[in-house]
Amino acid sequence: MKVPIPIPRIKIGASQRLRCHPCKEKDMAKIDLPRERAKDWKEVMLKKMAEVLDKYRSVRLFMDICVKCGACADKCQFFLGTGDPKNMPVARADLFRKVYKRYFTLGGKIWGRANEAEELTESVLQDWYTYFYQCSECRRCSVFCPYGIDTAEITIAAREVMAAAGIATKYVTEVVAKVYDTGNNLGIWPLAWKDNCSFLEEDLKDTEGLDLKFPVDEVGAEILLVPPSADNFVNTNTMIGYAKMFHAAGISWTTSTYCNEGGNFGLFLNYANLKKTNNRILEAARDLKVKKIYWGE
Amino acid sequence: MAEKFLFILLPYLSAAVFLIGVLYRFWVWGRTPVPLRIVSTPAPRTRGGVIWRLIGDALWFPSLFKGDRFLWAAGLAFHILLWLVLLRHLRYFLYPIPGWVEGIQTPGLYAGYLVSIPLALLLARRLVDEKALYISILGDYFSLFLLLAITISGTLLGVFFRTYLVEVKAYALGLIHFNPAVPQAHWLFELHFFLVMALLAYFPFSKLMHSGGLFWSPTLNQRANFETQFVNPWDFPVAYNPRNLWPPEKYQQELAESKEGKKE
Repeated sequence: MKVPIPIPRIKIGASQRLRCHPCKEKDMAKIDLPRERAKDWKEVMLKKMAEVLDKYRSVRLFMDICVKCGACADKCQFFLGTGDPKNMPVARADLFRKVYKRYFTLGGKIWGRANEAEELTESVLQDWYTYFYQCSECRRCSVFCPYGIDTAEITIAAREVMAAAGIATKYVTEVVAKVYDTGNNLGIWPLAWKDNCSFLEEDLKDTEGLDLKFPVDEVGAEILLVPPSADNFVNTNTMIGYAKMFHAAGISWTTSTYCNEGGNFGLFLNYANLKKTNNRILEAARDLKVKKIYWGE
Repeated sequence: MAEKFLFILLPYLSAAVFLIGVLYRFWVWGRTPVPLRIVSTPAPRTRGGVIWRLIGDALWFPSLFKGDRFLWAAGLAFHILLWLVLLRHLRYFLYPIPGWVEGIQTPGLYAGYLVSIPLALLLARRLVDEKALYISILGDYFSLFLLLAITISGTLLGVFFRTYLVEVKAYALGLIHFNPAVPQAHWLFELHFFLVMALLAYFPFSKLMHSGGLFWSPTLNQRANFETQFVNPWDFPVAYNPRNLWPPEKYQQELAESKEGKKE
């Protein structure tokens, strides 16, 4: 049965105070970002914005062609949940668009506020930090937009711009830093990963009498398995499932302690970390000389 | 003097701003690379599929149909009627008039009478729907009012305050042969003409660029051909960090340093 989702009345500033914790210095250092907000954050951000606008056609185009029809307005779960008008995808993009207009378009430079252009001020930055981290980059809005405007692209751009000036959330930076330290989002250290694997081996022997291996860092295996790291930590039945399946298929496999997580939090931060996080899957595969990568997430 | 400006200088000025502005926008979009494959689902797998998708998005707005039926109906009605009106106006610029332009004369006329209705509905929607009201900015109202003024003045011009059409056609033909002469004065025609020129000049600076921009949209004009590698033109190598690798020696070291490894 299809239950229609009630569309909330708009409540200005309803989720303004629901803000993510700011990033920590130790994490930022590990992921090649400024340790704290840059003193000249405005200049840094505008410079990065110009770079992003020249690197992503999506961002440049979506800034220019939105007609504010509002078809996306009631499609965002963050708006449906909070009723905060700035969580409508079009309004979220407008946070970026008004700064774009002020500094990168003729109309905005001449007409200023009449053309909805706005200086990059502290309060605009606070709005960016609040609302661009209230987007899950699910891209649902792009399905309903007549021009395919994808607010996730704008969210990604805005986070990249903020990250360049040392502004990010703890949840994202901490997880990316953990990936570089331990190889996975949960922060399972290699020894613990090995220990978990041998525990599962013993457990399987005791409960089901099966003698299966959970190989770790085995050079020359056929398949590198990149599971969600929770599979070796909480959802261990899934991990046992992998082992049974590979055993039944007679394929040699291995996990890697360098890369034992397929989820990529770099997407929520910036391109460099997105690429680094993904690239380590290839690095691990080359290191272990596997033939194929099985990658779940 | 004012008439000379309006009828001789302004048309060429507006046309130049329109053409250069639109081409400049296309050039900026075209030179900006597309680094990632971000096509929206359900995505076509072939080039033909992409063309079909873009034609569909340009002609009958399936995305709006999924999301907002009223907006879809009003928007589609407006765009179809506007196209009919525009094509009907070709009769003023062509001599002799081709058969198909003759053919859409009657539908074009009625479209001209009706096109104000969806425009008014779209305007009303912006004012009534609190979400649309919140996101609307000056540019949205300006475009709507400009188009409304053009369609209403055009309707009045055709029904109540008629101008001398032979004169208008002679002027239009002169215009496209770069030999314009100021036509007989008619206040409403002057207003109608001025508003159209204003729209032309405003076009490249405004959200009206959505008309051409649609075809540049990477979420719509890409294919879901995941079997081929997508190359990012500005990609950069990321640092391989051997510090993060865990060779056996490092395990041993970790183990020795850990609590369990320490001998009691």
